[in-house]
Amino acid sequence: MGAQGSFNPFEMARVQFDKVADLLDLDSGTRELLRSPLREYHFSIPVRMSDGNTKVFQGFRIQHNDARGPCKGGIRFHPQETVDTVRALSMWMTWKTAVVDIPLGGAKGGVICDPHSLTPQEQEAICRGYVDQIAKNIGPAIDIPAPDIMTNAQHMIWMLDEYEKILGSRFPGMITGKPVGLGGSLGRTQATGYGLVYTIREALRQLDIRPAGTRASVQGFGNVAQYAIELLERIGGKVVCVSCWDQQDSASYSFRKADGVVLDELRSITDRFGGIEKDKAKELGYEVLSGAAWLEQDVDILIPAALENQITGENVAKISTQVKVIAEGANGPTTPEADKVIHERGIFLVPDFLANAGGVTCSYFEQVQCNMNYFWEMDEVLGKLDLKMTSAFIAVSDLARKKKLYMRDAAYIIAIDRVAMACHQRGWV
Amino acid sequence: MTDESPLQAGNLDSLNERAKELRCLYQIEEIVERFDIPIADAFLKICTAVSPGFQFPESCFSSVVYEQDSYTPENLEPTPWFLSSDIVIQKDTVGRISVYYTEEFPTLDEGPFLREERRLLDSIAKRIGNHLFYRSLLDLKPADGAAGKGNEPSEDWRGPVNLIRHTDKRLFVRMSRKILNQLYWMGSPEAQELLDEEFGDIKGSLGEVNQAGSRVARKDSVLLSERPFEIASEYFSSREIIELVQRWAQESKAGFFVKLSHDQRTTLPELADGIRRFRHAFTDGSEIPLSILNGLRVSLVRRMLTEQLEFIKIAKEHVDVEDFQALIEHTIVPGNGQGRLGGKAVGLFIATKILAKHGDKNALIKNVKTPKTWYLASDGVSAFMWHNNLEDVMEQKYKPIEQVRQEYPHIVQLFKSSEFPASLVQGLTIALDDFGDTPLIVRSSSLLEDRLGTAFSGKYKSLFLANVGTREERLSELMNAIAEVYASTFSPDPIEYRKIRGLIDFKEEMAVLIQTVVGQRVGKYFFPAFAGVAFSNNEFRWSPRIERTDGLLRMVPGLGTRAVDRVGDDYPILVVPGKKELRANTSIDEVVAYSPRMIDVLNLETKKFETHEIRELLIEIDGQYPAVERVFSIREDEILRKPSRLLLDLEKDELVATFGALFRETTFVEEVGELLDVLASTLETPVDIEFAHDGLDLYLLQCRPQSFLREESPAAIPKDISPSRILFSADRFVSNGWLPEITHIVYVDPETYAKLPSREELLQVGRAVGTVNKLLPKRQFILMGPGRWGSRGDIKLGVNVTYSDISNTSMLIEIAKKTGSYVPDLSFGTHFFQDLVESAIRYLPLYPDDPGIHFNEPFFRNAKNLLPSVAPAFAHLQNVVKVIDVQSETNGKILSVLLNADLDEALGVLTDPSSDDDAPQQRQQVESAPEPPQPDLYWRWRLQMAERIAEEMDPALFGVRAFYVLGSTKNASAGPESDIDLVIHVEASPEKNKALELWLDGWSRCLAEINYLRTGYRQEHLLDVRLVTDDDIAKHTGIAGKIGAETDPAREIPLGRKSS
Repeated sequence: MGAQGSFNPFEMARVQFDKVADLLDLDSGTRELLRSPLREYHFSIPVRMSDGNTKVFQGFRIQHNDARGPCKGGIRFHPQETVDTVRALSMWMTWKTAVVDIPLGGAKGGVICDPHSLTPQEQEAICRGYVDQIAKNIGPAIDIPAPDIMTNAQHMIWMLDEYEKILGSRFPGMITGKPVGLGGSLGRTQATGYGLVYTIREALRQLDIRPAGTRASVQGFGNVAQYAIELLERIGGKVVCVSCWDQQDSASYSFRKADGVVLDELRSITDRFGGIEKDKAKELGYEVLSGAAWLEQDVDILIPAALENQITGENVAKISTQVKVIAEGANGPTTPEADKVIHERGIFLVPDFLANAGGVTCSYFEQVQCNMNYFWEMDEVLGKLDLKMTSAFIAVSDLARKKKLYMRDAAYIIAIDRVAMACHQRGWV
Repeated sequence: MTDESPLQAGNLDSLNERAKELRCLYQIEEIVERFDIPIADAFLKICTAVSPGFQFPESCFSSVVYEQDSYTPENLEPTPWFLSSDIVIQKDTVGRISVYYTEEFPTLDEGPFLREERRLLDSIAKRIGNHLFYRSLLDLKPADGAAGKGNEPSEDWRGPVNLIRHTDKRLFVRMSRKILNQLYWMGSPEAQELLDEEFGDIKGSLGEVNQAGSRVARKDSVLLSERPFEIASEYFSSREIIELVQRWAQESKAGFFVKLSHDQRTTLPELADGIRRFRHAFTDGSEIPLSILNGLRVSLVRRMLTEQLEFIKIAKEHVDVEDFQALIEHTIVPGNGQGRLGGKAVGLFIATKILAKHGDKNALIKNVKTPKTWYLASDGVSAFMWHNNLEDVMEQKYKPIEQVRQEYPHIVQLFKSSEFPASLVQGLTIALDDFGDTPLIVRSSSLLEDRLGTAFSGKYKSLFLANVGTREERLSELMNAIAEVYASTFSPDPIEYRKIRGLIDFKEEMAVLIQTVVGQRVGKYFFPAFAGVAFSNNEFRWSPRIERTDGLLRMVPGLGTRAVDRVGDDYPILVVPGKKELRANTSIDEVVAYSPRMIDVLNLETKKFETHEIRELLIEIDGQYPAVERVFSIREDEILRKPSRLLLDLEKDELVATFGALFRETTFVEEVGELLDVLASTLETPVDIEFAHDGLDLYLLQCRPQSFLREESPAAIPKDISPSRILFSADRFVSNGWLPEITHIVYVDPETYAKLPSREELLQVGRAVGTVNKLLPKRQFILMGPGRWGSRGDIKLGVNVTYSDISNTSMLIEIAKKTGSYVPDLSFGTHFFQDLVESAIRYLPLYPDDPGIHFNEPFFRNAKNLLPSVAPAFAHLQNVVKVIDVQSETNGKILSVLLNADLDEALGVLTDPSSDDDAPQQRQQVESAPEPPQPDLYWRWRLQMAERIAEEMDPALFGVRAFYVLGSTKNASAGPESDIDLVIHVEASPEKNKALELWLDGWSRCLAEINYLRTGYRQEHLLDVRLVTDDDIAKHTGIAGKIGAETDPAREIPLGRKSS
């Protein structure tokens, strides 16, 4: 797709892989295998529309690698989905499951459609039609889909139901992202934010800093940021600055309180788009600063948990000398130029696909619980999440320390090495 | 019925008396409308009903004497204190009705009786007389059923014919002529003879062609004899003659009414009385000739509803004469009231009648209701002003708008402290009794409002009343509200609007609708379960699958005010009647983010109209919301589900207003859709309705032609435009509108965009657009770009922007340019669709590769790009993002975008700023699409003020070196809300700078006040001043870069010579 020289996400993902493959000195066979998905399914989904006509939708499922276990990855509904985007994302899923060391591979899927132009019944028909086409090639032991862009729990339930109809029995582990009570796991909403803090806690331990008394600044006030703030406070840290987007002013602002922001207070003054209302914040005694201010605070921990490309070559110099840890809650918040500076300054970075892997880990737990049809209490889920994240972190940080690697590189190296190793052991390459 | 002696205003005792009288009259009316009871029973019932209408009902009885028989309840004996009135049939006195007091009371107007009581008794006697006359006519009627068809001996035509001959000679003469004519046509020679006898020999006199026939003296004696009927008896059976006589008698009864209804001097009460009599004349269901009936309907429609021909045509088919009686009975008029009901009332009245006609056979709209309504006729306002000597206020509209605005608050106070004429007070009291203590809304219904083509929506006031407290309090609050509505005729907004539309000389009168508010009381609040507006034509479609004629509903929980207006900080729920499953928001996050958060309610304790957070209100009323399970959904994880009233946990559950179950489980959307269809097809125009639902029933609150606001009316698409002037055209998914003055275009080149190599650069395009959005003049530029604006998926398929990045544009254009054999799908703005709707930003998809479509790509390619100078940070994207100054590219032309949904055509065309030659038809429809308020007034005044400031300024004192304007004042694009951007070059002296800022602050506040008086936009400051020093200018930092800049430079204004 696309003209020569234009941006292609799959090419980008390959370039990144090649770099690590060089470092690992992977043999050409392994490289060849991992540079491309193992299997791609492209299929047609005919749907009887509400006006009586039939429309055919294009669906696909791309399974990048399942050497370490069944594939895992979301299903996206998007009107202009491209195969290369999905390929890139499936590869990224393989690395992500590998870095947290859960026994799963990577996949991604999608349907070219615009839910804004579809009735709920038509969307249901697409979900069921999707499963009808791919039922043989997905399943709790093969490939486990999950919600993604423009799909949600409802879509997952339709797909599960269709799958179970075809198979003639119950397989709740066939899909994740289901509501609690219908095969969903407790702790799902907290998982990413909490997982992020578990890695921060471990990073501080590495640096020999006691969490109590540390100060942090957070970009974003979404789900991840809120639960991160919650847990950070509970382990004794203090979040002194939060920034978020203000829809009305089309600008972002930072909200600062020197003795620590109060999460419930901020939650109670968010607008419909999740932004903090600045007038109310002022009344509550917050300083309202520019959107960029979160980065410039004299804190120990920076948590970019909003958008990509937030720490750039231009603003990286404004990071206070006091900052010890940057934990990437968002995907890709740091540009390569900034990465270089952070590396040079010796700031401890927890890279995105490790830092925010709490979500996929909890999906894994959902599947595990489904497969044994026994569901854990919240504490058990979070306890296991802590264990998983902590060990994943230690593996990466140990490697980084021993080999004097930048944390991001170490994480990729471990992930790709684990996948390559599994392929070797299976005798594929 | 003319009320010549209005009662003392506010004298509730006498009001009570009048109310008693009216009640009595109504009761009598009910009795005399019945012909199925024996006459003796009718008289006794009348006697019982009369006494309570008098001052001392406990000591009062009455009797009727008719043809020697006396009818008195309980055989009471006459007393010396009585009042009598003769019962007359066709001029013959046939009896009398008397009222007696059983004891002596002080002497008043006539013995112990009041003048009003005399009138009451007279009018009762008159009604009894009429009743008896109709009874006599009815008695003529052949007996039903058993009668058979043959001539029966008892049915002699002579009896009835003689009765008429003796009681009503004129009627008898007319009948004789009719029967003679009938016989003549049948070829009866006897009839021929008789006619000859009447007129002499008329045959000879009609021979000459060019000469008027000679006038012949008529001999009525011929017609007065029985001879015509004698002849007739040879041709017709007795029974047939009787039937003819009856029919003609009845037709003649309509005659008086035809006269009455055509006479403009007839007062409304007289008309009501006329209709009542008219109905009595035809109670037996006999047929009135259609011609008479239609004539009557039309004259009533013209009289009370409208003079517009197209409307009369529709109304006469749906409104019956009796409907007018009901209408008049609920209409309050001043003493000699003539008045009309005004647009809003008429629209609702006609709609109600249309629904009544269609409801029988249409299950979907069968149960649609309208709230109980009373009307205050349009001449009420004149009577009110006349009563209070407020005539001079009438001239208010000719004053300068600043003065109108300044004086308006005083007028409101003046009106509120004025008294209502007694006749209105009396009417309002009756209305209030009829309503009881349910909350009311007082709506304006002016003559101009809602006329076809002029949408005055929201220009005049509508006020809610809690209507609680004592009767006196409620009456006083009702009058207060009406006074305020009256005063709004003189508020600056409608006056300015009328001036613009050339309607200022129209004698605007304001009728008022008083309606019950649809809803339920919950705790101390009163509100409907939900309410909103609906349109036949959908001008904002978010999917290509939605057609324009599928319609659109905007609805909110609670009172509909939040759906009618665009409130800015909240969103109504949108649903398309034709395609209710296709929703603007599909993901859970979207549904939640764009759901209504606030609710308008009436607080019956504070008596105020209030806005609450839905969440808080639900907790306060403990979830007792009407139809709660249909209005709200519970968000649970990633699922929205229907709440169960039983299991609802307000502490824990996150309730979202979605109307999920309402749409899914009921036919509500279909009902509204059908309502729109029936009304639009009957009224032959797309309509715009307001509705409310109390949880049980759907109520129609308003109906009018769909607003023809200028920005929503179809633009004329000229056909003879030279292709060189066309920048683009489109013929798919076009909505209505006209964007006359586009000065800038932001164009994202689809080809170079697709070739951007990195994701980061693609993202930067979005940031560049966001930056430019803040710099360009608001609503005077359009955005054009590839694919899906705001796409959250693959960034290559559309520029990554959020709503705030595009918020100032006037139009969003998505270009679907073919790549290879593939035409991309467009987004239809779905990602911020509701934001577009609420801020009236237009959306247009372009398919440049379609046959017959113009797309002037070279223009966009070759135009000079201002991006590097406007937003230097994004200069590296200048191959992708182009900011085009249309005027400098085209020798002063501007871009005009014409959109016509009827034709499904749109055109972007270059025009001269001052000429209107591309909207020729706009002028023809001057009523529907007037000239916009001249925008040049705004900038010119601003520039003058800036010059004034420069002139008044003391350069030495303030250390000022030069003075510049920029932005909208400089670019001649300022609107009523724009501030005046100034850049002042100063010495770097903090003290002088401070003094200057203080001095300018005074100016800023004063100008803001003046601007408010001129435009109605309230701001604290009008000046946006930035001080720059030599240093800034040298470094070109910030705004200083505008001084001497290559593009869009600041304009220097000469400084004054004042010196201290």
